[in-house]
Amino acid sequence: MGVKKKYRSKKGAERACLALIYIVLGVISLIWLIPFLLLIVQSFRGESSGMSMNYVFPEQWTFDNYIRLFTETKFLRWYGNTLLVSVVVTIIQTVIVLMTSYALSRLRFKLRKPLMNLMLILGMFPGFLSMTAVYFILKEINLTQNLVGLMLVYSASSAMQYYICKGFFDTIPKSLDEAARIDGASRHTVFVKIILPLAKPIIIYTVLSAFIAPWGEYMFSSFIMLGDSDHFTVAVGMKMWLEKESVNEYFTVFCAAAVVVSIPITALFIWLQRYYVEGITGGSVKG
Amino acid sequence: MADVSLKHVYKVYPNGTKAVNDFNMEIRDKEFIVFVGPSGCGKSTTLRMIAGLEDISAGELKIGELIVNDMEPKDRDIAMVFQNYALYPHMTVYENIAFGLRLRKLPKDDIHKKVVEAAEILGITDYLDKKPKEMSGGQRQRVALGRAIVREPKVMLLDEPLSNLDAKLRTQMRAEISKLHTKLQTTFIYVTHDQVEAMTMGTRIVVMKDGFVQQIDTPKNLYSYPANKFVAGFIGTPQMNFFEGTLLKTGDSVAIKFDNSDAEITVPYSLLYKAKPAYLDGKKKVIIGLRAEDISLAKENIKNSKAVIKVKISHKEELGSETIIYGDINMEGDGYGESPTRVIIKDGGERDFSAGETVEAALNIEHIHLFDKDTEQSVLPRVPEFNDVECEVKDGKLSFCGVELELPQAVKCEDLKGELLIPTDAILFDGKWKADVVSCENAGGVNLSALRLNGNRLYAVSTEAVESKSVKIGIDFKKITVVSEGEEKISPMPQTNGFPCKFVKKKTRELAEVNGKMKKKKIVRFGFEIGDAFFETTDETSQKIFAALGIKKSFTAALRMECGADNLSVSEVGIAAEAVRTLDYGTEKYLACAVGDNTVYVKTDKEYSGSICLLPDLAQVGIVETEREIKII
Repeated sequence: MGVKKKYRSKKGAERACLALIYIVLGVISLIWLIPFLLLIVQSFRGESSGMSMNYVFPEQWTFDNYIRLFTETKFLRWYGNTLLVSVVVTIIQTVIVLMTSYALSRLRFKLRKPLMNLMLILGMFPGFLSMTAVYFILKEINLTQNLVGLMLVYSASSAMQYYICKGFFDTIPKSLDEAARIDGASRHTVFVKIILPLAKPIIIYTVLSAFIAPWGEYMFSSFIMLGDSDHFTVAVGMKMWLEKESVNEYFTVFCAAAVVVSIPITALFIWLQRYYVEGITGGSVKG
Repeated sequence: MADVSLKHVYKVYPNGTKAVNDFNMEIRDKEFIVFVGPSGCGKSTTLRMIAGLEDISAGELKIGELIVNDMEPKDRDIAMVFQNYALYPHMTVYENIAFGLRLRKLPKDDIHKKVVEAAEILGITDYLDKKPKEMSGGQRQRVALGRAIVREPKVMLLDEPLSNLDAKLRTQMRAEISKLHTKLQTTFIYVTHDQVEAMTMGTRIVVMKDGFVQQIDTPKNLYSYPANKFVAGFIGTPQMNFFEGTLLKTGDSVAIKFDNSDAEITVPYSLLYKAKPAYLDGKKKVIIGLRAEDISLAKENIKNSKAVIKVKISHKEELGSETIIYGDINMEGDGYGESPTRVIIKDGGERDFSAGETVEAALNIEHIHLFDKDTEQSVLPRVPEFNDVECEVKDGKLSFCGVELELPQAVKCEDLKGELLIPTDAILFDGKWKADVVSCENAGGVNLSALRLNGNRLYAVSTEAVESKSVKIGIDFKKITVVSEGEEKISPMPQTNGFPCKFVKKKTRELAEVNGKMKKKKIVRFGFEIGDAFFETTDETSQKIFAALGIKKSFTAALRMECGADNLSVSEVGIAAEAVRTLDYGTEKYLACAVGDNTVYVKTDKEYSGSICLLPDLAQVGIVETEREIKII
């Protein structure tokens, strides 16, 4: 009897502990979500009072902001620009990162360690330090005010993102590579047929991070597109609406644009997250 | 289905660690070879070099007729089974087994047939649609075996395939792998650290330690004739007993005295004939090895044995069919820790012994093993190195074992009394003294004959078995040593000559025919430079040197050319040398010459003096890198 009681009370304590954890997590996520909720709510506001307002819920609910966004502004064009740049950069960057990481994880060559350290250190410097130099180089080859130029700048340092991906490859047993090589595979076949199928979670991670960066990047694109509003990305264009002279007119439109901008990332994440969780390497080696 | 040959194979890591040293072995077709040794002994590295997963630092690896040093693993026609199975987790069992065949672009029907056949052999037909993670360890290892056998490789490599399985499954799989070997009729190379696996499965076993091969032999020979203390202790359970002691020969008997104990036994010298004579002086420390099954507590044996010692029993392990009894030959010792007096006895359980009791134990001296205390090498080898006999030199005549012969000019010395060391391979079967053949056995590739010359026993090795009752023998004076009063009076001629040399590249402009016209053309030659002499090498030799040392180091490394006296000749051109003196060994003549500070020997029929030139036979020379002592060719 006593044992049972003790057992029960232990279970009760566990439950209480769990409840507490969930409450804390709930509060934190609420705090996180408030700005987003506010943004969504504002995007449906009918009355225009700029950023200065002292109430949360709009007096007038309307879809006008979205209609204005797509008819009166160049938003659709910017959106297309950003999407194109992001998709191209994502593809280039994912391929380069995966290949670099595999090489750094599996091949042993001279200067491998120094190269890895160099990349890590270079990555610590903010990218905009090189902004003026990059601008002049692009200008020389006529790629300013040009989306190709932007893609080039975004995917240039792709290989430096190898770190996390290499860490993942290191956890895939080398004996799998060796077994495949003995089975008749070249290094390339091993990479494509053995390693990539096992690396799904890290491919997803790489895709997501490669997509998000150019999607919201402001500095380089504003500098390279300098004044050419046909080639703006969303970040540059939308920032324009928040200037002093236009904020009153465009604030609610800005909120609507922000909601539209967040859609692809949310969708991408929801679509890819199921691969994130799966533990794929189970059963390959001793266990 | 192929032979595998390893010649002077080394693995040296960039930091200088030598993982494998001078590995030499000829593996015949269909053999089951086991590499065994403690972890870090280089056995897996050797296997991985054969597989092509690890570069070979120096040496030559042949599979079949092909040199495969630089061949990709996929082109070597081998299959490998890994300790951790290394199955592709995202593929089903079927796909796992078929993977190698698909890469080789076999027709689909053939693949299916082969996969199903392999699955049937291994009893995994029901699991073909499963993923590896749904299977148990034993089943996974079967899949790994299946993946290896469908390819029908020339050589199967297995790297500790059973280490991750539990004891029962391991025994079962052990039998199945042996069965597979019989069925597939292909060469197996198996790596394990478990001596039981090695003994039960291998047709031949390679025992390794610290990167060196200790012994290569059949399981039975390893057990009966271990070459050193390590092999003796590694093979067999319970471990061999090792005592320290000394041997003293007096007349026809030898007294064996055990250290730290009162135990002393006297055995007839005939049992220890092969022992190296230097160890029978009663001073030199030896390690006496006796297996647990060669010590008996049975009354019958004790009554019949002359080699009986006292043992204090400390504890025992009942195993059902037999009892392992632990004790000490030192009455003060406790018998628990590993010490030079601890004794382990396998007993049939004739009567019950209690702890603390002192009993008599009979030693089976016929199975005794003796090792040097420092080098740990056997001093009771299966094939003895030397015959050690007493001799006398008087008036230029050497007499030993009741025979007398004229010393040739090369080994003339003053009158003395001393010991004569005749290597077993220096006894020639074409002499003038008649000797009786006592026995002839095949011992690890050579034929060892025990001869009786005027009542004295001599051992001789020969390539062919000796079948007659008596033979006529002589000795090769080049190889003998005579020691008198601790001094070497006659020394053997060195087997090889060493020349320090360098590998060089020479660019020359030579007249050559280009498009029908004679033109000066740039020609690059590689070769060895010894002093001023240059010997051009064949492409094959150059490649071997580049492969072993790398392009840059090939030209800077200090090398040594090794060349036997028979492969050197006196010539017009070649290595500059000074003729010192002619050595006449009766039937053969050699010339001792000075090259730099070294003395080298050349076989010749003529007499020379002053400056001469030596020409080595490049096809027969060996090349050694002196810094790391790596034999490249």
